[in-house]
Formats: sequence, C-alpha cells, structure tokens
Amino acid sequence: MKPKVAFFDFTSCEGCQLDVLNLTGEELLDLLNAVEIVNFREAISRRDDDYDIAFIEGSVTREAEIPRLQKIRAQAKILVALGACACIGGVNALKNNLKMDEALKMVYGNDAKQFDTIPARPINAVVPVDFYIRGCPVQTGEVVKVIKALLLGRKPEIPNYPVCTECKMAGNICVYELGKTCLGPVTRAGCSAICVSGGRHCWGCRGLVDEPNINSQKDILEKYGLSAERIIDKFKIYNTYTEVQK
Amino acid sequence: MNTNSILVVDDEAIVRESIRDWLKESGYDVATAESAEEALQMTAHKEFGVLVLDVRLPGKSGLTALKEIKAQYPAVKSIIVTAYPSEETTAEANRLGALECMIKPVAPEELEKLVREAIESLEKEPAVKPPAVKAPAFKKSAVISKRSFKTLVENLLKTTEVVGVKSKKGKYVFDHVTSFDDLRMDYDVTVNPPTQYLFPARETILKYDLTDFKKSAPVVDKSPRAIIGVHPYDIRAIELLDEAFITLNPDPNYIARRQNSLIIGVDCLHPSPKAFSPSMGTNVAETGFDLLLTDIGDTYMITVGSQKGADLLKKNVQVIEPTTDDIARQKMARDEALTRYRLSLNVARERLPKMLDDAYDDPYWQQRASTCLSCGSCVMVCPTCFCFDVQDDVALNLKDGERNRLWDGCMLVDFAKVAGGENFRHDKTSRFHHRIYRKGKYILERYGKTGCVGCGRCGIACLAEIASPLEAFNDIAEIAMNKQLEKTAESVRPEEELYAPLQAELVRVENLAAKEKVFEIKLAGGRELGQKPGQFVELSLYGMGEAPFGVATSPTRRGTFEIAIRNVGSLTNVSHTLKAGDTVGIRGPFGNGFPLKQFEGKDLLLIAGGTGIFPMRSLIQYVQDNRHLYGKVIVLYGARGPAERLFTKDLEAWQNDKSIEFHETVDRGDANWKGNVGVITTLIPKVQIDPKKTVAVVVGPPIMYRFVIVELKKRDIADENIIMSLERRMKCGVGKCGHCQMNGLYVCQDGPVFSLAQLRTVKEAI
Repeated sequence: MKPKVAFFDFTSCEGCQLDVLNLTGEELLDLLNAVEIVNFREAISRRDDDYDIAFIEGSVTREAEIPRLQKIRAQAKILVALGACACIGGVNALKNNLKMDEALKMVYGNDAKQFDTIPARPINAVVPVDFYIRGCPVQTGEVVKVIKALLLGRKPEIPNYPVCTECKMAGNICVYELGKTCLGPVTRAGCSAICVSGGRHCWGCRGLVDEPNINSQKDILEKYGLSAERIIDKFKIYNTYTEVQK
Repeated sequence: MNTNSILVVDDEAIVRESIRDWLKESGYDVATAESAEEALQMTAHKEFGVLVLDVRLPGKSGLTALKEIKAQYPAVKSIIVTAYPSEETTAEANRLGALECMIKPVAPEELEKLVREAIESLEKEPAVKPPAVKAPAFKKSAVISKRSFKTLVENLLKTTEVVGVKSKKGKYVFDHVTSFDDLRMDYDVTVNPPTQYLFPARETILKYDLTDFKKSAPVVDKSPRAIIGVHPYDIRAIELLDEAFITLNPDPNYIARRQNSLIIGVDCLHPSPKAFSPSMGTNVAETGFDLLLTDIGDTYMITVGSQKGADLLKKNVQVIEPTTDDIARQKMARDEALTRYRLSLNVARERLPKMLDDAYDDPYWQQRASTCLSCGSCVMVCPTCFCFDVQDDVALNLKDGERNRLWDGCMLVDFAKVAGGENFRHDKTSRFHHRIYRKGKYILERYGKTGCVGCGRCGIACLAEIASPLEAFNDIAEIAMNKQLEKTAESVRPEEELYAPLQAELVRVENLAAKEKVFEIKLAGGRELGQKPGQFVELSLYGMGEAPFGVATSPTRRGTFEIAIRNVGSLTNVSHTLKAGDTVGIRGPFGNGFPLKQFEGKDLLLIAGGTGIFPMRSLIQYVQDNRHLYGKVIVLYGARGPAERLFTKDLEAWQNDKSIEFHETVDRGDANWKGNVGVITTLIPKVQIDPKKTVAVVVGPPIMYRFVIVELKKRDIADENIIMSLERRMKCGVGKCGHCQMNGLYVCQDGPVFSLAQLRTVKEAI
C-alpha cells in the first residue's frame, strides 16, 4: 500500500507547494509511483481526509488556524513543516514586532475590524512536528530527499552546519570579502548557498543552526559597518519568532 | 654492512621481543625499533641486512619506513609481518620488494627460515653502490617562451579537461578554463584550493541496486584533467594527500583522479598578504608536479617533475636549453618573492609539536575559540584538509542508490557526534584545539609532512579572524616565552624555607612491633600539618639527615599527626632512640596523596601489606570520618607473622567497626594464631565486589603489587580504578634531586600515588 500524502496551506504565499510541483516529469512520475497524493489544493481536485503524511506550508496567524492544524495533526502519522513560514514563522512573524491592532490597521485600514489576527508562529508552536523542510522557498531537491527518507523509514540528513560550509564547497567568494554582509555564518545549510552562488547574500531563511554563535555574528556585522539596529533588522526578516522567543 | 644484522620493527613489545629472542637464539645480530620513525633514525646511522616490519605502527606505517629505507639502501631485504592482511598491503609489500607478507602470529621456524634465505641471498649478491637513485630519463629543466606556453595550454584544451586559475570579482578561483586568455599565472592565492579536483566536495564512491546486492559496484572518475597554475604550497598539500590517501589503504577514487591529473605548477612570486609558506618550508616544491613554471620575464623557466611532464613538453613545444642567465633570473625571482611575505612564524617549525604539547591545557584555546562561528569556512578552504562524511542517496524509484562522500570537517558541530547523541568534541574550544593540533602536530607525526602549508586561505575566510594557524602558533610561542621569562633567575621569588625543616615535638613514642615504632608529632606553634591521606613528610634529624615517611594519621584527626618507622638504617636507628619531648624537624607534606574525589560514591577495597598499613591507616581513618561519602568499604591487611602485625589496636577496632568489612592474614602462623594464613592475595578472591563500582587502593612492598594486580584484574577492576602508592628514595621531596625518578616521572611530585592506568607505560614502576 502506497502511503497517502496530503498538502495543506496555512498563512503563506503557497510558493513552497509550487516548488514541490517543480519536480522534473520523471521525478513526478516516480513520486506518484511511490505515494498516493490525496489532498493538494494547488495541484489536484481530490480532497480526501484520510492520509498518512501531511505537509504543512505556512505559519499560524489566526485563531481559526489552530483547531484546523490540530485536526490535521490528529489524522497524520507524520507531519512535515514545509518552508520557512511553517518551520520558523518566516516573514509572517515580522508583524510580531507591532501591536496586532496596529498591524491590522496598517494592512486593512478602515476595514481592519473585519479581520482577526494573532502573532504569527511556526507550526511547532501549536502541534508537534516530525520533520522540517526549510527555506523560502523550499528546495525541490530537499523535498525529494525528505520524502525518500520517509519512504525508507530513516531520518533525512539535513545539515546542522552553517551556509558558509556549503558556500565554500561551491567555491564562492565570501560576501564579506566583497564588503557586504550576510547571515550565512549562523544560518542552517542545505540550500547549497543558492543566494550567494546567485550573486546575493544569505537572508537566514532556513533558520539558525543548533548552536549559532549569535554574539560573534553580531560583532562581525558591526565590524562590517552595520549598526546594532540594522543587525537586529537583518535577523528579524526571517527569524523574528526565534529572536522574540529568546 | 653486516649481512647478519636484522632490524625488527613492531610497536607491540611482546611480538618485537619474541622475534628478537628467536632470531638471537639462531645467532643473528638483532636490533629492535618500536616505530617507523625510530627505525628510520636507526637506519640513518647503520645499514641492516634484513628488516622485519610490522605494517600498522603508531606514526608512519612499516611500509612507508620500508620505502624510505629502500631509497637509502636498495639492497636491504625485508619481511612484512601484519595482523591485518589485505590485498593492498600485499601488493604494496611486493612492490617494495618484500620477500614475504606474513600474517600474525608468525611461527618462529618459518620466520627464521625466511631470514636465513634472505641473508644467504644477500651474501651472494654483489654489494650495491649507494648512489642507486635512478637518473631521470628526462632533462630536469628547460625554458619555453610565453607564446609556447600558450600553445601548450591550447593543445591541452583541445584534448582534455583543463582547470586553472581565473579572476572572479577581483579575487582568484580555480575553475574550469575554456580559453587560454582566462588563465591567470600571476595570482596571489585562490579562494578555493586545487585539491578539490583530486578530492572533490562531493563524489560518488559506490552505486547499488536495492533489489539486487550483486549489482553494486565502486565508482571512480578516471577522466583526464590538467590542473594549471598550482602554487608550490598547494603542491606540498597534494603530497600530503598522497600520503594520506595512497599509503596503507590505497584509496581508489583519489588515486584514479591523481593518476589522471596533469599538474602544472607555477612559482608564487606575488604572495598573498596572509601567506606564510616560507615559515612552513612549503614555498618551494621539488616533487609532486609534472611541470613547474617560474616566470622569468619573457620566458618561463620550467622544472620537469615527471616523464609525463617531459613528454608533454616534447609533444607540444619547442624547448630552449636554459642558460646560466636564465638560471640566475629564476633564482632572483624566487629570492625576491621571499622578501614579499609579510607574515612569519616566530619560532622554528620543528619546535611546534613540542610547544603544542606543552600548551595542551592552556586557557588560551578557550579564549581564542570563543568567537568561533563553527561555520566550517576554515576547513573547507584548506588544501590539507581531507576529512569526509559518507551518505547514501536513493532515487525516488527506491531502487537505484549511490553512496557519496562529501567534505566534512572537525570544526563542524556534529563531526564527532555518535549514534547515542554523545558528541566527543561538543564545544567550540575542543574543535578549535583539535584543528590547530592537527595542523601543527598530529598530521606531521602521522604522515611525516606538515599539516599546514601556509597558504593563508583560512585566515582570509575566517570572519572571526581566529583561524590562522600561524597566529595560534605565534601566540602559543609567546605564551611559552613569557612563561620562560617569568621563570628567569632574576625575576623569580625563591622559597627561602624550601629546605629548612619546621620545628616539631614528639608527644608520644610507642612500640608497634619488634622493629617498628609510632611517633606522634606536634608542629611548633600549634600549626596543622595540613596533609592529605597518602602524602609524606621528610623527618629531619640534625646530624643524621632526612628520610621520607608516609603520614599515618588522617587530616580529620587534628592537632598532631603520626609517622611510623621501621628500624632498618642509620637514621631510623637513631629515631628509635628518641623519646617523647624530643625535638625533630619536619618538611612537608609532599606528594599528591590519594585521589579522594575519585573515591566518592564508590566502593573501596583497601589492601595493605606490611608497613603499607602506615599510609593506609591515614586513608582508613579519613574514610571512617567521612563514611557517608563511600559505598561498601573493605579493608584487607597482611603481615608476615602474628608478631609482625602493626597497629594491632587499630586492627581490632576495624574488626569491630560494623561500617567496614575487615579481613587480615599472616604469611606464616604460629601456635596461638587462629586467623587466616596465606599471602595477602589469598584474601582477594574471598571478598564480594562490584568491579564497576569499586576502587582498589594498594599499598605494600614492591613485590606485593605484581601479584595483587593479577588478582584484581581477575576481578575485572579497570586500570584507572587500581590505585597504588609507590615507595622510592625521595630525598628532597620537592622534585629536584632526581633520586625518586622513574622514567619521566618524579615520584615525590607526580606521586607517590598513581593509578595502574598511569603506570602501564612507566616501565620502571612495578
């Protein structure tokens, strides 16, 4: 019996689910051979509530999302957080820097009263999570890696070292050497340093490594000319939830 | 050469010595060495007829030693002895001309026969003249024009994959080259090392089929490749990788790439500001390349390093015979380059391993590592780093799989983590420490080549600015120097009273047995001695001298202390004439005492023989006074006969103390003796102990230790949990006079209490 898989979205841009669909034709066929997808709003019309593995994209930002997530957790044998919003709160958590009524007003203006909102949180703040596929958006390759690991009944090998390691493996010139700043030294790798390889810097979308040396990273950012405020801002883009929790 | 002379190299003493003894009995002249390094030292001065070599040795392997000895004495015969036979070992042994690869354990007759045959064949062979170094079949140097070099590269581009140095965003990288014009030969340093083409960041080593085991097969990359513009320090790094990957278990993936790579080096004439290769002796390379270029203006001076390099030149370009002017220009270019290095090691690099040894526990490491990001940059850009992880990757069809190796590094948090979750290098300091020690000591000792080639890449890559081994080495050198300075004769404050005894009064003198008395002593002015159980004092009698005695009283019994003295010599003879009220001198306490912390929470098995009861009594009292700190306590005491029992009142009290289990025995009983008869070891099998929870403490005459240890090992007590107090001639007590030294240890300072684990390598100990 093929395991039944479902995809659900919470507060998110749904880009991570799109990335799942970025599989090559052959990979997609192999995937459909290995699992039965029973619920995937972005891709199919089937809506079954009988599934073994649930992938959740998005963070929790409204009261109503809490019971919905709990219900999915109760059904799924394995629950996987898909993407930065689900794993670490992501950019959604930026609003946590404001009072909720201010945030509503900023976005909806006079219609603010029609909406409810709560501080954004990653899904593991609401229910236990079995596996995390990080990134904004996720890497299709890593999605496949995690699915394969689930099918083989093993833990996926997701690096617990910073982006710098993969960035050096890729032969990149350090962003700092070029006079710019980057969150690579404290951000969990697994993305093959895609942003730096593409000419940008690391934004920290995959969250922090298990033992980040934040103080040292802040000293370095300061040495490279960022003010304390800018440093915090830099961390907050993806890691507000983690920052606030500390 | 004496053809009859044999060198046996094995790190296992029992094997080494047995082979030596067998061969000696057969009339050969036999020398032994414990390591390849020692063997190389010995062969530097003496030529042996036959070598008997173990393969796995602590530093260099036996095969490496053989290779090096053969280079000096091509005629030498060799026999390999190994407990780990493999096809690779046999092949390598054959290649090096070994007569036989024997599997341990070897039969004496067989080995003797082989040795005899080897010596007979040696005697038949004409003596080989030493300069056996084969003259290369190619000319060692040549000059080519820069235009010719272009032709050469363009020809290579047509036939093979070419990697070389390119400019990227104002820095330099090794990358694939498609046009000669992209190639930079005048760079300072690249971001990434060229070793990545011999040992890539990720490579597949096996392919397999989950449904059919037989379909699995190793994967190697044999595609030809030219690596152009490798600086000498990187060539030296490649030579280290050669040593690591080729020696012992020849690595198929590395070797396939190495054999199919053409290495065209170029002298580094414009070093990076962070480079320090001259300090590491790696700014020049004499081997390890096919061609090495030196830019001498309009032309390149070329050093040819291999037949492959010679053929490449011959096939592609017109070479010019170097003139004396060319040679002079090459020397000048290299000399000028030397003046451009800004950094240097402030200590001779030969001293690094010892210096690092001395600084092992220095607080420097923690301070230095505190800003480490554990980001792995330093190890990823290092040309001498070669650690890897192995991971499986199975396709989505869950059938086709591959096993890949990926760069890994000791600076990464999970590198030393095992399945149970334990991490053997869990903190930044231990990881940083390990990396620097690898670079400055471990690699050198293991492979005989420097672990840091001074390229300076890690120093550039490290955002926390702590990675450069040079800075760490220099800091440690400075710390060592400051320590030295603190200790100069001018600056140090002497301990005026070091040799002056304290005045003390005998408050009680009591006979213990025919030859033993106990002396209760009170220091002048009511001072406490402040001893730990197991420490000793020097009893000082003006006119007679001094002698060491273990303190027999626990520090928990305050006010006075006791020493017990057996009358065996002149000082002890005089001491026995002393009476209560007499004045004596005391120095001390000295020594380390028993490891009381280690005893806490444990069951104690305290074994004293003869006068060993003197220091043991101090410990027993201490344990009685802190009884809650210990589990079960068993005391075993042995005396020669009933009349020689010492501290009999205490023995009786211990017998009656319900909180301890006490057994005693005498070697020979008499008519009145109703207790155990037999040596002390006979008591050990009778007691019930939990080997995991028990620490055994043994004090007695030297002969007793050997036998007691055997009994304790039968009861599975670990070496660390067998604690002994040793007797030596401790004259000064303060680690100066040298009388008490056993091997490298001073018993008065490092002892007298040791664990068996500590003493396993101290051959003079027991």
